[in-house]
Amino acid sequence: MTDMTKEELHRGLADAVVNMDEATSARLSEEAVERRYDAFEAIDHGLAKGMETAGRLFEEEEYFVPELLMCADALNAGVDILKPHIKRGKQDIRCKIVIGVISGDTHDIGKNLVKLMLSSSGFEVVDLGRDVPPQSFVDRAVEEGAGIIMISSLMTTTMEGMWEVVRMLEERGLRDRIKVAVGGGPVSQGFADKIGADGYSPNANHAVRLAAELAATLA
Amino acid sequence: MNAAVVDVMKNGAHTLPAAHHDAGLMSGLADDVQRETGFENFGIPFCMTVEAESLGSSVDYGTIKCEPKIGKESFPSVRDVEFRPKRAIEKNKRARAIVDAISTLSQKYPDIPTIGAITGPLSTSASIVDPMTFLKELRRGKNDAHRVLDYVCNQLIDYAGLMIEGGADVISIADPTATGEILGPLMFGEYAVPYLNQLADAIHKLGIPVIIHICGNVKTVRKGLAMLHGDALSVDAMVSLGTLKSEISGLTTMGNLSTYMLEFGDEEKVRSGVRSLLGQNIDIMAPACGLSTSTPIRNIRAFTLAVKEGL
Repeated sequence: MTDMTKEELHRGLADAVVNMDEATSARLSEEAVERRYDAFEAIDHGLAKGMETAGRLFEEEEYFVPELLMCADALNAGVDILKPHIKRGKQDIRCKIVIGVISGDTHDIGKNLVKLMLSSSGFEVVDLGRDVPPQSFVDRAVEEGAGIIMISSLMTTTMEGMWEVVRMLEERGLRDRIKVAVGGGPVSQGFADKIGADGYSPNANHAVRLAAELAATLA
Repeated sequence: MNAAVVDVMKNGAHTLPAAHHDAGLMSGLADDVQRETGFENFGIPFCMTVEAESLGSSVDYGTIKCEPKIGKESFPSVRDVEFRPKRAIEKNKRARAIVDAISTLSQKYPDIPTIGAITGPLSTSASIVDPMTFLKELRRGKNDAHRVLDYVCNQLIDYAGLMIEGGADVISIADPTATGEILGPLMFGEYAVPYLNQLADAIHKLGIPVIIHICGNVKTVRKGLAMLHGDALSVDAMVSLGTLKSEISGLTTMGNLSTYMLEFGDEEKVRSGVRSLLGQNIDIMAPACGLSTSTPIRNIRAFTLAVKEGL
């Protein structure tokens, strides 16, 4: 065991994530457990901070999709070790989000990026996968008590389905309780406004800020 | 680029998804599309999945409104890819129907160019290997990733050869995974450029010109674009082709009227979009990306007519 203060260890964990280094992330996470450092803090001040940096680098076009995915693997290598040691009640779930790719579309790289950025930022994410019918978004959001539905599409053909989700929420009188955010290649702020969605996000890092804003309006 | 919009299929003679499987229906539909839209070429197939299907993945053929999509990629990792023998795509029934449809069209209409559309090496590879793992393996499993890309690229070369034997006048390669937005400049240089060029060079050897379509924003990959061996470069609507032309000398540009505008705009908006593109001296006027199947035919007609009047 090296002689690391808690702060140094947190910094090491953050760096391991930014450097896409799964082995170091796992090793330092084990060290945090052995030293009985608070596991939640190690995630929140270490791994998640690293993911935040990775997300920023992605937004600044220093990192691209392969890099961000590898950062996420490094994050998860640490989270898997630390999570069982989190003291109960400590984890502060911000808001439940139902996410998926709208029906007709099986392109889910973007959705997966958004999901991992949200998860690492403390949101509980229910992933419906790809090719998801509008009805399923609404049904699952109700079942799960989710506050936000996030819908992705890469094909203009399928964007209509996003509209359908908004309409269904309106018909069921759920529009005030469940926020809708949209994203994906052909989607724009203009389109989001047009269909009456509550938000649009151009990338995975921005999606976290958007989710936080939307969650705040629900509270 | 699929131009088989629902409006064209309304008369019901040649419709999707059936036409994905049948040479007669496919050539009939391409004929309908050409006649009703005013495009000056035939373009088939109407899907981007036949290559991956031939190499192992399962495909959901979609509906009249929805293009075929990959149901499940067949391999979890580049390490698991089973290399099929050469000319594997030829063994796929749909691929044979595509080649037959190309023959029919090129014989029936020798004066109208028939474009054979091929899904590029990266996109096909990311359609046979789980795409999330695939993208990571571009970094951490480079040797295996290159082996898969080389294998896929060689299969595509054979397939392009088949299309050309059938009478294709041009091959158009669309490689949506090979976008700067996903890969960034380094990976684009390492994986997109060499395999697209390998494919384009092989097609050139058969005496046929090549269009390469790159999706998304290209601002991070301009250098890579300049290295592509295609005869024309087609890009998405957010890219200024005028600027690109000034940055890459000798570039033949193709594009790039917003497919969003074509779907949701009106005829006047389409005409003004065409005017602005004409002002940029674009060489080949075309929609910026695949058309949505819900695009109204009147907008497509307004587009082709405005281009012809402008010329």
